Amino acid sequence: MTSQHTQRGERESSKERSGRSTGRTDSGRGRRVAAGVAGGALLLYGVARRSVRGVAAAVAGGWLLNRAIRGRSSGGGSAGWTAAEERPAKGAPRDSLDVQRSMTVERPAAELYDRWRDPETHEQMWAHFAEVDQIGEDRQHWAIAGPRGISLEWDAEVVAADPGEFLRWKSLPGAQVPNEGSVRFLERGDGEETEVTLHLRFDPPGGRVATTVIDRLDLLPDAAAGKALRRFKSLVETGETPTLEGNPSARGQGDLL
Amino acid sequence: MSDATSGTGTEGIGEMRALCWHGTNDLRVDSVPRPSLVNPNDAVLRVTASTACGSDLHIVDGYLPTMREGDVLGHEFVGEVAETGEGVEGVEAGERVVVPSFIGCGACAYCQDDLWSLCDNTNPNAEMQEPILGDSTAGIYGYTHAFGGYAGSHAEYIRVPHADENCFQVPDELDDTQALFVSDAWPTGYMGADFCDIEDGDTVAVWGCGGVGLMAQHSADLMGAEQVIGIDRFPARLHAAREHAGAETIDYTEVDSVLDRLDALTGGRGPDACIDAVGMEAHGTGVAHAYDRAKQQFGLHTDRGEALRQAMVACRKGGTLSILGVYGLMDKFPLGILMNKGITVRTAQQHGQRYVPELLDYAVEGELDPSYLATHEFSLEDGPEAYRMFREKEDGMIRPVFRP
Ligand SMILES: [Zn+2]
Ligand SMILES: [Zn+2]
Repeated sequence: MTSQHTQRGERESSKERSGRSTGRTDSGRGRRVAAGVAGGALLLYGVARRSVRGVAAAVAGGWLLNRAIRGRSSGGGSAGWTAAEERPAKGAPRDSLDVQRSMTVERPAAELYDRWRDPETHEQMWAHFAEVDQIGEDRQHWAIAGPRGISLEWDAEVVAADPGEFLRWKSLPGAQVPNEGSVRFLERGDGEETEVTLHLRFDPPGGRVATTVIDRLDLLPDAAAGKALRRFKSLVETGETPTLEGNPSARGQGDLL
Repeated sequence: MSDATSGTGTEGIGEMRALCWHGTNDLRVDSVPRPSLVNPNDAVLRVTASTACGSDLHIVDGYLPTMREGDVLGHEFVGEVAETGEGVEGVEAGERVVVPSFIGCGACAYCQDDLWSLCDNTNPNAEMQEPILGDSTAGIYGYTHAFGGYAGSHAEYIRVPHADENCFQVPDELDDTQALFVSDAWPTGYMGADFCDIEDGDTVAVWGCGGVGLMAQHSADLMGAEQVIGIDRFPARLHAAREHAGAETIDYTEVDSVLDRLDALTGGRGPDACIDAVGMEAHGTGVAHAYDRAKQQFGLHTDRGEALRQAMVACRKGGTLSILGVYGLMDKFPLGILMNKGITVRTAQQHGQRYVPELLDYAVEGELDPSYLATHEFSLEDGPEAYRMFREKEDGMIRPVFRP
């Protein structure tokens, strides 16, 4: 699968980018053209997949296109860019398995907190990423099914809860890839809307097995967190999440990413 | 397959005919699965009329990177409601409805602000847009997976999410063709004119006399502009502008200088507002343009950039530039002209839901009948030929209409 190689190559260049570098601010046009075409191809590849992998590829493709447009070299020197521009584009792949995303939802914080703790909502908002089952009042079982029968599972427990404001959970000892997450609800103005900030962190122990698993799963917390927040928002604001389930095309039925 | 009022046959079983994209310049009519209700707020419509849009040509030409082989085209349509989900309250089977191309949810901050094409909750592939736009837009039918991936309307049936927000009942006085252009071409053009805050004595110049350009001219006339000027080069379109939209016209291939001509028509001031509707890329995408650029360096479409630059130079000091054509990530944008002339720029993809009710009223009152855009009719089976003619603007075609 050549596209997989492309993806891996992209990941390497993203590593390169985050390292200190004195690269030119403007990549050559030829390079930009190449990045743009590769980005388009990856986007296409991404939508053709019905998985988290697909999301990852699509995001990577979009990011490549973005770079092609902005003319930023993979070396990514900072001269000529403002601090705001230095921030990686939303959804851009990075090395760290540590991510924070925020979204504003048109509901009071107390309601959002309750919905987050509602097992049904919680299960639906993560459905693109993992199967989450409630196994006790403050415990969930998470399972990610990857390609070629590879999977990642763990139990997590709520370790801090401040109703209406904050929630933190952590994988229990023994998890193959220890991880933790938190969500904060911050009401704005008259309390009709709330800023929801999700933080996820995965700490691979560094062993070969774990790294391989992470690699094979294309575990991209950025994409997963962004989409989970988006799904949560849609569920709370509209009672459903946008979907391409059953979407007709000459390929048949359904276009689940 | 013309009769499916309710209950039977629309539960996702069975097939339907649809005009599908299979690659660059490769459109085919295929049998595809029928859509069914998925979410509680869905409706499934039997499509009664659907039209091609200039922006579809970008897809046909293969410039949009997130089309997939087999995608159903089409985003401007009217239909009859076949069935509705359990959450739908205001729409019933059997009703004739018109649907805006951008899908709104009605609940997010943007929809509540009447900025429907910016909806937060209707694009299932939002994460594909974010790296490029920094945000995501609403979803749209038949217009790439980055813009939602929803199957389009050049088909016998279509699934419409959030039916209560997106299905507008067509008054009995209007036929399908009249209602069809309330889906997209008219509200887009109307919005472009609305952006101009037209006052007594104003001159509005519109670049482009395709469906959207004509509707922008016609709407500006309706809003009381003293003088409306349409600019294009196709005789049939210029004729329609004069005949129907209340505009004077400039054939830019016939004059030495469009700018001089506009100056002469405005006592040297320049138009108070300039609307760019060239190429009708109103649903064009940043993705498209990035891809164009990547593929062809600065793209085939330099003429579009030229029209926009011309509009900036033509515009009077302190005037308004209303952009309906899309210039995604164009970098040769002479900001200095705008800045030094104090020009206000307004632009958006169409916020259809905001305008549809008043446009239906206008149509019923007979103040504007958009059906002159429908110059040609085709069956779905002739879709590929219709698009070929549409691209070549053959036989004076403004818009082809399909009756699936
Ligand atoms: Zn259109
Ligand atoms: Zn919305």
